[in-house]
Amino acid sequence: MSLIEFDKVSFGYEQVPILKDLTLSVQTNLFWAIIGPNGSGKSTFLNLLSGQIKPQHGTVCVDQQVITAMNTAQRAQKISLVRQEFIPVFGYSVFQTVMMARYARQSRRLFENAADRKAVHAALEATDTLNFAERPLDHLSGGERQRVFIARALAQETPILLLDEPTSHLDLKHQIKIFDLLKQMQTQQGKTILLVTHDINLAVQYCDRVLLLGSDEAFFQGPPEQVLDSGRIESIFGVQGYQGRIQKEKFFVPLGRFSKDRPG
Amino acid sequence: MTLTPQKLVLRSILAGSILLGVMVACVWIGSQEVSLVEVLKGPGVEGSPNIQYIIFMQERLPRICLAAIVGAALACAGVVFQAILRNPLADPYILGVSSGAGLGSIVAVLFSGTVIYGKIAGHFGWISEATGMSSLMIMAFVGAMLTVWLVWAIGRVTGRNHVTGLLLAGVVVNAFFSALIMFLLSIARARQLQSTIFWLMGCMILPENPLMVWFSGGVVLLGIVCLLMLGNSLNILSFGSEDAQSLGVPVKRTCFLAFACAALITSVAVSLSGLIGFVGLVVPHAVRLVVGPDHRLLIPLSAITGAAFLVVADTIARVVIAPAILPVGVITALVGGPFFLILLIRYTKNIQWGPA
Repeated sequence: MSLIEFDKVSFGYEQVPILKDLTLSVQTNLFWAIIGPNGSGKSTFLNLLSGQIKPQHGTVCVDQQVITAMNTAQRAQKISLVRQEFIPVFGYSVFQTVMMARYARQSRRLFENAADRKAVHAALEATDTLNFAERPLDHLSGGERQRVFIARALAQETPILLLDEPTSHLDLKHQIKIFDLLKQMQTQQGKTILLVTHDINLAVQYCDRVLLLGSDEAFFQGPPEQVLDSGRIESIFGVQGYQGRIQKEKFFVPLGRFSKDRPG
Repeated sequence: MTLTPQKLVLRSILAGSILLGVMVACVWIGSQEVSLVEVLKGPGVEGSPNIQYIIFMQERLPRICLAAIVGAALACAGVVFQAILRNPLADPYILGVSSGAGLGSIVAVLFSGTVIYGKIAGHFGWISEATGMSSLMIMAFVGAMLTVWLVWAIGRVTGRNHVTGLLLAGVVVNAFFSALIMFLLSIARARQLQSTIFWLMGCMILPENPLMVWFSGGVVLLGIVCLLMLGNSLNILSFGSEDAQSLGVPVKRTCFLAFACAALITSVAVSLSGLIGFVGLVVPHAVRLVVGPDHRLLIPLSAITGAAFLVVADTIARVVIAPAILPVGVITALVGGPFFLILLIRYTKNIQWGPA
């Protein structure tokens, strides 16, 4: 049985359909990338999955339960979310931030207990953030801060981890560091990961499955090898590109000025 | 560094004893000399009452308690507005919540004699009976609650992730309510005018019924305890509603509850002492510098510090042009205005506002 089931899900805003009849099943312990141009419904997909919006048609199930029928605390024990890098208003320490992940399990307790502390410690260790646990978030670099938010998602101890463009503000090295970390979460902790990204090449390298959303309600799903075909990418994104291979893996370079004299 | 119950209690006791020290010190300061020896002699006998005892028991002590209650309420309300609106410059006065409560109170005062008001109040009399709140306090609460809703709604439209949008909303709401208040005052009878204007400037006026002080103190304490119980949720909410939702906080319910508590304690403070600004801005910032941003510590310690702050400010107000008394709102605004500017410059420069 699959962990996440989208059954003919449709959603749109006032006559602007975004997703139509999306059917998808996500097996446990896979790393999915959600790719598509702006406005193709990537965020809508995440919001539907996390139960923040209700589909107009169809159902979204997690663990065979309809997600919108669960309460907030129940959902928070199934799905954790990491979003685009941002600096919070108040200077909470790394430890305090990660401890917030335990909220859904504290059931109105005001103080954390030993189990909470253990989970936080383990999450900090797994993300290599333990050595700056007492530093405030606004004193960290962007890459460090994203690792802290991944640690928070880990401490939430959910089977599913959603990420909304977590690397969009990071430089190349830190992007790869985050993807390495996520891969490690998948293989070592058995997480099911769904990641919205614009980086096709990192998705090919790290992800097991891809959901490619087109702007005309079309969607394609499957292994990156099959889905991310250069003709399809070119038509969906409206760019020309060059596709090659490095060690059997495809890569895609969008061509701007070079469109006319593309190799091959 | 985890927060344990022991740490919370210890720090609250430490801060509480400082507050007690401040109150004990301030109670002896004033235009009229009062000595402990004289006060301890008791109320005096029939015909030759002990003036010092009467001043102490009926003026100084209730006034100090009143200042402490109002200060605690305003500081806590400031903490809550800052957390939920994710705006470090929020304060019940700046957002217009105080003037909303003030407008409610003035409506209650000015129209309390009229037939229409009597009819409406007749329908809702059970609320006063059930809660012990005066109609003035209820009207103040209604005004505060409506303003919170208004500011929240305007803030949503102008974009919650911008520090100045919400402040502008507060400025507009404030200006609008001030206009309504001035309109009401200009049609008011002269007898009510001076005391109302003085009250508007923010002034400790002892209620006719001394029990009112205790009752207000109880309501404020209750509100603060409720907010303390929401401490973890407030921590998470300051990361934005999207994060809060994904971490399991029921956002709408929690925001409503926190806003209702904040509006309640603000309206109690306003109905007691009028519009006193900037306590909810200065105090939470100072406390945050010392104990950090954890609301489980921030709320009780801001309450205690806010109480001490207003007790000191009110004592200054009592002695600075003695024997006349300055409205305490003048003192807090003189301190808070420059403080606000410093924070405004700091936050509009450095903070990168995340998506709402």
